[in-house]
Amino acid sequence: MKSRKLIFAFVFFVLGFLLTFSYQYTKSKNEVTQLSEKDWEQDYYYRQQLIELEDKNKQLRNELANIRQEIQTQEQELANEADVLKDLVDQKLNLQKLVGELSVSGDGVAVTLSDSSYIPEEEHANQYIVHDRHIHQVVNELYSAGAKAIAINGQRIYRHSSISCVGPVISIDGNNFPAPFVITAIGDQHTLEVSLNLQNGVVDNLVQDNVEVKLEKKSNIEMLARET
Amino acid sequence: MWLPALFLVLGLILGFLTNITIPDIYANYLSIAVLAALDTLFGGIRAQLEDKFDQKVFITGFFFNVSLAAFLAFLGVQLGIDLYLAAIFAFGVRLFQNLAIIRRLLLEKYRFIKK
Repeated sequence: MKSRKLIFAFVFFVLGFLLTFSYQYTKSKNEVTQLSEKDWEQDYYYRQQLIELEDKNKQLRNELANIRQEIQTQEQELANEADVLKDLVDQKLNLQKLVGELSVSGDGVAVTLSDSSYIPEEEHANQYIVHDRHIHQVVNELYSAGAKAIAINGQRIYRHSSISCVGPVISIDGNNFPAPFVITAIGDQHTLEVSLNLQNGVVDNLVQDNVEVKLEKKSNIEMLARET
Repeated sequence: MWLPALFLVLGLILGFLTNITIPDIYANYLSIAVLAALDTLFGGIRAQLEDKFDQKVFITGFFFNVSLAAFLAFLGVQLGIDLYLAAIFAFGVRLFQNLAIIRRLLLEKYRFIKK
């Protein structure tokens, strides 16, 4: 009788254990499933939101990159425009210097043409003085040798200047100058000198025409701008 | 009758205290174990009331039933067929039969006492 009770007690014990255990097990399982089911919509919703946000982020980042690119190109354009402007200003300055609207200074040469000091009695004096054609020769030679600016006795020569003989003096743009004539030219000293001294060149011609020629290099020649 | 009740309470408490989570595939075995325990219990009570109680039959029946049910469930899992349903069905039918017999026996006893 005692052992019978013990066996019953054992079976009851096992039964109780199994009952509560399975009860707990199913409860926890239900909880889990319920939770996940409840969370599912929320989870889905949040995920959707996250995806939307990330999409938006990506879009905005793309936009940002595009804008940065645009800014860069615009800056580049600005820099290019500035460069072009600078070039144009430089060019304008150079041109102004060339046509005489600005004063010019620099190294160059000075050619002095004077009438021959010795005139034989039997010859005509006209053969021994400096004529406008001599000056033309020198000026043309200087220009073709690359002179930037030329002046005669301090009077600057422009593109439309006139040099002509008026009796014993030479008129340059209406101003008369007596001999000797100092023709100053700004440019590459070596080139100017060499081109003047070419064989059968300008200087040789002048000497044959009984003109006294003195050629010297000068530095820091100043020429003023046109006065008008 | 105090000892079985005490052990039942003990088992319940122990079941509450154990916090083991078992994998889903063993849930079938758990249900079968519960049914086997119930079946054995009611079988034992019925035998008691019929004065045919045999300890050896009781104990061996408990373990043999449980192991057979577990084997069926295992086979079912292996074959992909819900064979554990057969065990559940058998246990359920026997449970109701036992309960009916216990009820009749108790009613007869009650009548007998009344007379």
